[in-house]
Amino acid sequence: MKKFILLFFTLTVTIYGYTYNEMLIKAQIAVFPKILLLDKKINNKLVDNKIVFIIAHEESDGTTAANIQNIFLQLYKNTLSNYVFETKTVEFSKISQSTEATAIYILNSQTAIKDLSNICASKGIITFSYDINNLKSGLMFSLMLEKNTALYINKKNFKNNKIDFIPSLYEIVKFINTQEDEQ
Amino acid sequence: MICHLSILEKRSIIIFLILFTIISTHLHAEEENVITSITSEMELFGDIATKTKLNEHYQPYIISIFQGKELEKLGVSTLKEALTLVPGADTATDNFNNQVPIFRGSNPLAYGQSKLFIDGVSVNNLFFEGYSEYLSLPIEMIKRIEVVRGPGSKTNKVNSYAGSINVITYAEDMNSDEKNDKIIFKAGSYNYKMGGFTKTYKKDDFSLFSDFFYQQDDKKLSSGYDALSQGLFSFSSPFVIDNRPLSSSADAPLWLKNYSLGMTLKYKEFSLKARTLNHKQGAGYGYLYMLPQENDYLKSPSHYLELAYDKKIDDYDINIAAGAKYDTFDYNAKVAPDNFKTPTAIFSDGMYGEYYAKQRTLYQAASLKYSGFENHTISIGYRLTNEETIDMFYKLSNLTTGNAALVDYTQTRPFFDKDAKRNTYTFTIEDEYSYSDYLVFTYGFNYEKTSLQNSNFDPRISAVYQYDVQNIFKAIYSKLDRNPSWQEMFIINNHAISTNKNLKPEHVNAYEAAYIRKFSSDAHLQVNLFFLNNSKQIHNTTAHPDYENIKDIDIYGTELEYKGNVTHNDQLYLNYSFVDGKDNDNVELAIAAQHMAKGYYIYNIKNNISISTILKYVGSKEREQKDTREKLSDYYTVDASLYYKNKINDYSLTLSVKNIFDQKVKHPSASDTYPDDYTQEQRSFMVTYVKRF
Repeated sequence: MKKFILLFFTLTVTIYGYTYNEMLIKAQIAVFPKILLLDKKINNKLVDNKIVFIIAHEESDGTTAANIQNIFLQLYKNTLSNYVFETKTVEFSKISQSTEATAIYILNSQTAIKDLSNICASKGIITFSYDINNLKSGLMFSLMLEKNTALYINKKNFKNNKIDFIPSLYEIVKFINTQEDEQ
Repeated sequence: MICHLSILEKRSIIIFLILFTIISTHLHAEEENVITSITSEMELFGDIATKTKLNEHYQPYIISIFQGKELEKLGVSTLKEALTLVPGADTATDNFNNQVPIFRGSNPLAYGQSKLFIDGVSVNNLFFEGYSEYLSLPIEMIKRIEVVRGPGSKTNKVNSYAGSINVITYAEDMNSDEKNDKIIFKAGSYNYKMGGFTKTYKKDDFSLFSDFFYQQDDKKLSSGYDALSQGLFSFSSPFVIDNRPLSSSADAPLWLKNYSLGMTLKYKEFSLKARTLNHKQGAGYGYLYMLPQENDYLKSPSHYLELAYDKKIDDYDINIAAGAKYDTFDYNAKVAPDNFKTPTAIFSDGMYGEYYAKQRTLYQAASLKYSGFENHTISIGYRLTNEETIDMFYKLSNLTTGNAALVDYTQTRPFFDKDAKRNTYTFTIEDEYSYSDYLVFTYGFNYEKTSLQNSNFDPRISAVYQYDVQNIFKAIYSKLDRNPSWQEMFIINNHAISTNKNLKPEHVNAYEAAYIRKFSSDAHLQVNLFFLNNSKQIHNTTAHPDYENIKDIDIYGTELEYKGNVTHNDQLYLNYSFVDGKDNDNVELAIAAQHMAKGYYIYNIKNNISISTILKYVGSKEREQKDTREKLSDYYTVDASLYYKNKINDYSLTLSVKNIFDQKVKHPSASDTYPDDYTQEQRSFMVTYVKRF
């Protein structure tokens, strides 16, 4: 716990490209990887016996992505529970059906989110979004700093049978409704 | 089936079942640990977000947040400049060149309507109930500015009638690994020079943060003719005295020279916050509204020290604090020109004055927060304050002979009540009730009793409803009182001001509503509506110098605020505010701009270079009822900045031009004083260099 208190200020994100909320990024980094441990089928998603966590970004957000990777490194030191935990930064344009990853943390993009979510859905890659709005485009998890910190999921995006979380996860999340759901 | 199994097979099955149970129990415990870890992280960041106001949209008041580093990129130089970006906030100036932020047009001539906190310590001076001396705080010393508008801004058991400003310095980061050590140099128009640093030191459980700056300029601005031209000190009876020909129109001395050292120390649960600010400025527009000389001055030093103990035990949060604050009004100037006439003497070499009043504030406060009841967080606290003038003297040229040499009138004709004193007892209780994850009520009251005025009971209730992830609604009712300031009660023997110790507090009943539409995690639009029912407002004019609780006024309006981006390389912030109102004589709201619009735009050219612009529009202002001057004209200003960051050597350089189009910016003067109002800076330049370590 203490290291998180220390680390929540560690990064002065000198951001060019999209503007990000530093604290929101730090909160997401502290929570998202741990969610992977609640996936009953996590072992099927390992890449070379490692959890591979991609930070997907636009070219203009390269510095931000590198800084985020650095926080991951400081916080997790390449280990997540009993797994080797590896982070990579990859531009949206370089992610395809051949990309191997356990999970992807997705930064902002005006054009790439939908394609990326389709790729991830077909491959059973767990997706985490910086921006809550991207859950409407098919991504799975996001986190918001509200009155209390809220972890959001779009359950519609869990239809893929390669993803199966333990039931207690659903007790601590909020469900987001998309327009399609409402119809 | 089992009965047909061999003993060996049975044993194997039992072992398998035991192992399965152990493994599944172990796995289940691991999963529970992960869930616990996730919820702990979420609670931790929830606490941080609340403390740092990152979840501002879910807080039970109307708040705007400005980040210091973003303001630096914009070329904003001081706290005062930053506050001009706040929706619905304007600035007023008085004859001492006291600069006062005005919220939602609420009584621009009053003292103490808003409060300033530096790292949670209330720093309003006692003499003016203002904080003008802190408005020149360089932006590089400020991590974040939180501005709460409206009386919903009850903070730290201190009543903030129209709004409160909480300045958070980089002391907030002293227990983190964030590196905020830096040196700063600035130079600009009016021969402005500034140097300063911030430094953190840590060892084991002990940490120390310090900031220091020195700055000076030689600013003087055209004032137009002074108040003598309006016949302020001319009389037709019992005999004719006409001082109007003595009126001058020289530049008003508005220069600045100040330095400040702030320190925050922490050791386990104990903390100490201290600051010494030695502020000296030009004598402005004169104690008696007559132009002073170039080197005449107003000193307003401010020093404070607060000791605190913070402890969290299970569901209890305990805070105990005690502190002392000293502030001084020290005015030394030529207060009337050569050949100035009074009924008793002619001051052939002018009249000189030295006014000195030193105030001390002692306080002790404690609060207890309990979150052990399901869905409730209850806070209870008190604050005891003793405010006192501890030293006063008054020297003036000889009132009988007109000789310019100073005579001590401290005992015989003081300018201020040397026995000024007030004790205030405040008790507060509040409950935050979470009806559901989406609906939170906050309700409570402040009870305040002073040794001079009646007791005040100030309730507040608010509801924050999160309809869904994108739509948030707030409704707030609050009542608040502003106790009369020292200026309004204890100035004596003054031709322009007649004070009254029996003044009652001003009251406001405020009804506020807000709707927030979140377009994304970082873009939002906020719409606020407010209705302020003010009563017993304290008011005077130069024609009617008695301070009295004579004004009732209803003020209503709206504020719109947008923050987001146009492309993925920029940041855009815009706000618009409208305010209107009528007093008990059916007179329209005066000396307040009905329309204001402000905004900024930052475009990141490369990953280390950005350009930005700030635009501000302040609408025209109606005069007070008996002021026959034309209404004060509207104005707009445009600032532009270029920001460069050298990542290898970790320094940044900012070049900025303010008021590029050289617009005339004026703050309204009181009627019958300076007919041309108070002119503010025109086009100016600033260069800032910050080196981080």
